[in-house]
Amino acid sequence: MMKRTLALVVATALAAAGCGPRGEAPKAESPAAPRVALVLKTLNSPFFIDMERGAQEAARRLGVNLTVQAAEREVDVDKQMQIIENLIQTGVKVLLVTPSGSKEIVPAIAKANKAGIRVVVVDTRVDPQAAKDAGITVDSYIGSDNYEGGKIAGRYLVEATGGKANVGVLEGIPGHETGDQRLRGFKDAVKDAKGVKIVASQTANWERDQGFTVFQNMLEAHPEIDAVFSANDMMALGAVEAIAAKGKTGKIKVVGYDAVEDAKKAIADGTIMGSVAQFPSEMGRVAVETADKLLKGQPVPAEQLVRIDLVTKDKPGSAPGAKQ
Amino acid sequence: MLTGATAARRARELGTLVGLVALAALLSLLTPHFLSVSNLLNVAEQTSINAVIAVGMTFVILSGGIDLSVGSLLALAGVVLAAALRAGWPTGAAIAAGMAVGGTCGLVNGMLITRGRLPAFIATLGMMSIARGAALVFTSGRPISGFAASFRQLSTARVLGVPAPVVLTIVVYALGHFLLTRTRFGRYVYAIGGNEEATRLSGISAGFHKTMVYVLSGVASGLAAVLLTARLNSAQPIAGINYELDAIAATVIGGTSLSGGVGTLHGTLIGALIMGVLRNGLNLLGTSSFFQQIVIGIVIITAVLVDSFLKPAAK
Repeated sequence: MMKRTLALVVATALAAAGCGPRGEAPKAESPAAPRVALVLKTLNSPFFIDMERGAQEAARRLGVNLTVQAAEREVDVDKQMQIIENLIQTGVKVLLVTPSGSKEIVPAIAKANKAGIRVVVVDTRVDPQAAKDAGITVDSYIGSDNYEGGKIAGRYLVEATGGKANVGVLEGIPGHETGDQRLRGFKDAVKDAKGVKIVASQTANWERDQGFTVFQNMLEAHPEIDAVFSANDMMALGAVEAIAAKGKTGKIKVVGYDAVEDAKKAIADGTIMGSVAQFPSEMGRVAVETADKLLKGQPVPAEQLVRIDLVTKDKPGSAPGAKQ
Repeated sequence: MLTGATAARRARELGTLVGLVALAALLSLLTPHFLSVSNLLNVAEQTSINAVIAVGMTFVILSGGIDLSVGSLLALAGVVLAAALRAGWPTGAAIAAGMAVGGTCGLVNGMLITRGRLPAFIATLGMMSIARGAALVFTSGRPISGFAASFRQLSTARVLGVPAPVVLTIVVYALGHFLLTRTRFGRYVYAIGGNEEATRLSGISAGFHKTMVYVLSGVASGLAAVLLTARLNSAQPIAGINYELDAIAATVIGGTSLSGGVGTLHGTLIGALIMGVLRNGLNLLGTSSFFQQIVIGIVIITAVLVDSFLKPAAK
């Protein structure tokens, strides 16, 4: 009996460990090269998959020994912290991280600092107050200006609706720096257009299925809505489905954010008007280049902004994936 | 007959421990980073939150029930604790408030199950949604963060080099073990899980003891909320999603039977450690999180398969 128990558990463990290195990091284990870790919020979003690709390409080009890890769920701040703690144990030299929470990441960065690891923050900023209180050091921030992106979306919506619209807004997770800034930028841009009113604004937690239900309900409560700003494309795509279910396709103008692959298709079909494109693969590339400089003892800028751009039916060419 | 059953259970317990040791041995061969004092303390610290929730879950499952609300209770207790701290309450009072919130919700769970005669699955499923919603309403969806260093000591302090959350977890397991094996309450929990009707007929107030089991589980979630909030220096209303499944997994891997009456707390601790060590080891090896989920699933199924292999021997 005992033997069987033992055999089963060990077999499981073997299966676990044996597949591990083959599954994820085939080329990595050259123990001499100092290692760089990229910790993403998640890997089940096209945005972060793009970022990983950009980072891997740069790592190959520069000969950087890169490990990429992510939590299963984007909002799981504790899991992200565990991953960082575990990476500290493996002796990485530079940590590139996209924080799952602007404040919640601070204790993890403090631990990395203490272990002498250089830290570069990508995409989502660290809350400045929390960073100051904890006395942490971040070598560089790489991302795009979400406030400016929100403004671009707002100006475009004003232009596309001729300055007259009842807008429903789908927000990101509250307290999440990225979404908050996009929303602030959007509001500032539509403030001066007298005919543009925000009639409803609710969170759909960045998710597609929630975008569907939240917007469906919004539309029930506010049938006058004829325009949507969504703080990311996943929620916008959910809203597009809700609009179709209501038989209002074409009557409601949707503006999204991120210009992910599905959104670009929707833009080509005309179900989404436009989306603010970020360039996650460039963020990944710049992040690894920055890590390379840090390893070589070269100075790096405290802030590195990656370009943003508006994708519409008339100018799909500037979309991030278009160059492939 | 009885000795056969006991022997089988012993074998099962030992099997879990051997599994943990074998896993650790394997990982220390595969990566040089696993077997170091700092990494082992790191694993223990990471395991502490799930381990504390799993104490309550073990009592619940031993009594023949289930508690799906623990993750949401953790979130609700966490934001209440955080709001109290931000409002300038003394640390002790804020912690008591958080744990009281967990305990009160647990009491409601217990009353619904015993007085309302709801299946535990349904009552705690409802509470899971209510507590999550309450946490979101209470905070308008925003995290509450930034606490005094004295509170964060609960995460950052070291006692003889051991992280405070680990020390706290050990204390909780010691208390739980005492409660379960050395008190009348503990014996009743086993009895209720083994045969509730017979327990009731022998004059024991099964309803009261069952209710207390859910209170205990709620308080344990509240304590886990204290650990998580101190660790992240923030309480999130969306914290603890799926934590009930991790706690159930630790309990089941540790050999507690889902049908109640059989199991131990030290088994649960080993179960929680197996999960923690697996996640840590797979991180150290650079395995993707997608793959980790598959492995955890295999381990849960393996553990219960072993149980069912051992059952015939118990007859």
